[in-house]
Amino acid sequence: MSEIETFYDVMRRQGITRRSFMKYCSLTAAALGLSPSFVPKIAHAMENKPRTPVIWVHGLECTCCSESFIRSAHPLAKDVVLSMISLDYDDTLMAAAGHQAEAALQDTIEKYKGNYILAVEGNPPLNEDGMYCIVGGKPFVDQLKHAAEHAKAVISWGACASYGCVQAAKPNPTRATPVHKVITDKPIIKVPGCPPIAEVMTGVITYMLTFDRLPELDRQGRPAMFYSQRIHDKCYRRPHFDAGQFVEQWDDENARKGYCLYKMGCKGPTTYNACSTVRWNEGVSFPIQSGHGCIGCSEDGFWDQGSFYDRVTDLTQFGVEANADKVGMTAAGVVGAGVAAHAAISALKAAQRKSQKEEA
Amino acid sequence: MSERNLLVGPFNRVEGDLELRLEVDAGQVRAAYANSPLFRGFERMMIGKDPRDALTITPRICGICSISQSAAAAIALADAAGVRPTPEGEKVAALLHAVENLADHVTHFNLFFMPDFAKPGYAGRDWFDAAVARFTAGKGSSLRRAIDARAQLLHIVGLLGGKWPHTLAIQPGGVTRAPSARDLIRIGTSLRAFRRYLEEQLFGAPLEAFLSLGTGDQAANWTTGDAGFFMTIAADLDLQALGRGRGRYMSFGAYPMRDGPLFAPGLWRDGARHDIDHAAIAEDLSHAWMLGETAHPTRAETLPDAAMSGPAYSWCKAPRLAGETVEVGALARQILDGHPLALSLAEEGSVRARILGRLLEIARSQLVLEELLSSINPAGKFMDQVTIPHDGTGVGLVEAARGSLGHWLRIEDGKIASYQIIAPTTWNFSPRDSAGIPGPVEGSLVGAAVGDDEDTPLSVQHIVRSYDPCMVCTVH
Repeated sequence: MSEIETFYDVMRRQGITRRSFMKYCSLTAAALGLSPSFVPKIAHAMENKPRTPVIWVHGLECTCCSESFIRSAHPLAKDVVLSMISLDYDDTLMAAAGHQAEAALQDTIEKYKGNYILAVEGNPPLNEDGMYCIVGGKPFVDQLKHAAEHAKAVISWGACASYGCVQAAKPNPTRATPVHKVITDKPIIKVPGCPPIAEVMTGVITYMLTFDRLPELDRQGRPAMFYSQRIHDKCYRRPHFDAGQFVEQWDDENARKGYCLYKMGCKGPTTYNACSTVRWNEGVSFPIQSGHGCIGCSEDGFWDQGSFYDRVTDLTQFGVEANADKVGMTAAGVVGAGVAAHAAISALKAAQRKSQKEEA
Repeated sequence: MSERNLLVGPFNRVEGDLELRLEVDAGQVRAAYANSPLFRGFERMMIGKDPRDALTITPRICGICSISQSAAAAIALADAAGVRPTPEGEKVAALLHAVENLADHVTHFNLFFMPDFAKPGYAGRDWFDAAVARFTAGKGSSLRRAIDARAQLLHIVGLLGGKWPHTLAIQPGGVTRAPSARDLIRIGTSLRAFRRYLEEQLFGAPLEAFLSLGTGDQAANWTTGDAGFFMTIAADLDLQALGRGRGRYMSFGAYPMRDGPLFAPGLWRDGARHDIDHAAIAEDLSHAWMLGETAHPTRAETLPDAAMSGPAYSWCKAPRLAGETVEVGALARQILDGHPLALSLAEEGSVRARILGRLLEIARSQLVLEELLSSINPAGKFMDQVTIPHDGTGVGLVEAARGSLGHWLRIEDGKIASYQIIAPTTWNFSPRDSAGIPGPVEGSLVGAAVGDDEDTPLSVQHIVRSYDPCMVCTVH
């Protein structure tokens, strides 16, 4: 591995200053929820460790994950991480085309056998021997298995790779299948969301590159640092939920006041993601802030749970009475999360009763 | 010179997957076959769902033009309900949509199209070193500046739409976010920053100067900015002769307003503008791996042929307007809106014309955005409650960055009974029809020069990318 550059070498080659580099280390520490004492550790690791090669492949997908990724907050994050990964193989952004591109993939696999991370955007369709997604004349599922064979670990980017996403919606015409059902012998990190938040994506990659290990995962295989709390837990409209103040109609007086969107079908109470804390497009906003409820795009099966505008109590995934403990357990490892979930569910029930009374 | 067949793919730096089969004879492409090798079946999974779910599911056809899909779905639902969004809602929807289209054009020019000129095949050209410094994939200086400018521009969508990609804000009755006066100021700041990028980097001069160009010849003398750099390369490589189309263009009209769309709709044929006969749109399935007959999208189905039997060679249906192919995209839109520069390029219809059409639209879109912003009244109503009918039909026709996008919807018993989509690249990258007429790109590729040592010919890449294909939308 000695011929591989360090992260810092890559950065220097990109013309990035020391000052900017240190700022990146601080921001990364903050994004990962680490104390400032970790900043020198991150810096040291990035200066001394050879960079980890990443191969990025695309199956059935819409490229929204890549789109999100190239828009992450600190310009350095995207420059560095992007340059590190696109150096090796990425369908959408790389320079080569055609046979050269296929050769580049093969070269990368050979050169970094057992040491590279395979990042998967999209998923393989399995119907008709995988013929619904052909890459280089072969089914994508073959490319995926081939690339995964010698990977150190696999990152499943987004809802497609993690769970199937909309193309797996009933009747799932192509039998779009999440990565972990095809690759069963490698550690897989799921980074769900449609797309995932850019800072979450760069955070996960940076963590793995810096500490040379997988981030702590929850029971569903998601990095606990970003997926241990519900949108609802940190939503800035939460006080209105607790106070029973709801938007009743689009653009009504309550909407202008920024009341809770629960009655408009918001899935924030059942969705684990960092949208309400990290936010989107460099921290500018997130869907609830734009006046539309959360659709729960980082949850398994979000695309087939009845209408997106139905109230959350209709979710089969989340029976209010029966599954309170299950919700607490999903957030395993986070002290007090179970308690918080219980509290929220009580409030939810209260809100439900209230609305039922109104309807009656 | 020998005859040979080339299989070009996977194609990089296009959105999604594309494979081309080329028959090469005497150093030229004799025939081209475009295959869209990715099928997901969105039209089938829409059936039986709550019609409103189209607002969430169809944008996920594509992570690059998701607002276009969202706008088309919202308009189709509004049409079914027999309503229009509120005027202020319409403006914000247009603002969101125009930002996405603008961002897409800038991405295409910098990340997808220009990096081809930094390839070793052009070593030795006068402009080669500059092309490498400015447009090497992943690290060129122009390209990095563009990525930054684009991220800043998309803050507007972040602010109004909550997130991008896959924004949820556009609804049949308007938009979910009523922008405050403070939001409008922030958007103004973002727009000014983007104008600065355009004037310092992309055009190297005031936008108004570029917009005053009236002919392709005048444009050829444009020297400043990355646009000027492209014109230098275009002249050297004779890109005005490369990848010519058939001179037929279509636009559904962009950014609907109460008094008509901001960019006018129409069909350009035989050197003149005509109205579009929407009833004459039909998708031909003769060369697509699809079962069924040629049909208008209100009657069509999507039944994939799992046997993938010949003579079909693509998952893409072949849309035709009155039996003819039409080219769609920024150039088409600007021709039909009647801008003099675009009109002078209509007959040329080349790689150069398509890129110039896109540059022209970039400059004009910035002005559109500035005007839209100044016209928004924060005290107005941004959304009406809309009741979706139990039974009905609706059509949503919009202009995505890459051209005309249509959603045709039928609701029965409160559920979606049929949902058909024709995307811009479906028009441009369609396979042959039952009369054997190749799709627009397939036609443009005929005659492209192929070196004996080339297996992924540069000329072919320029032509394909000049159309800015979005393959995930094509088949969906």
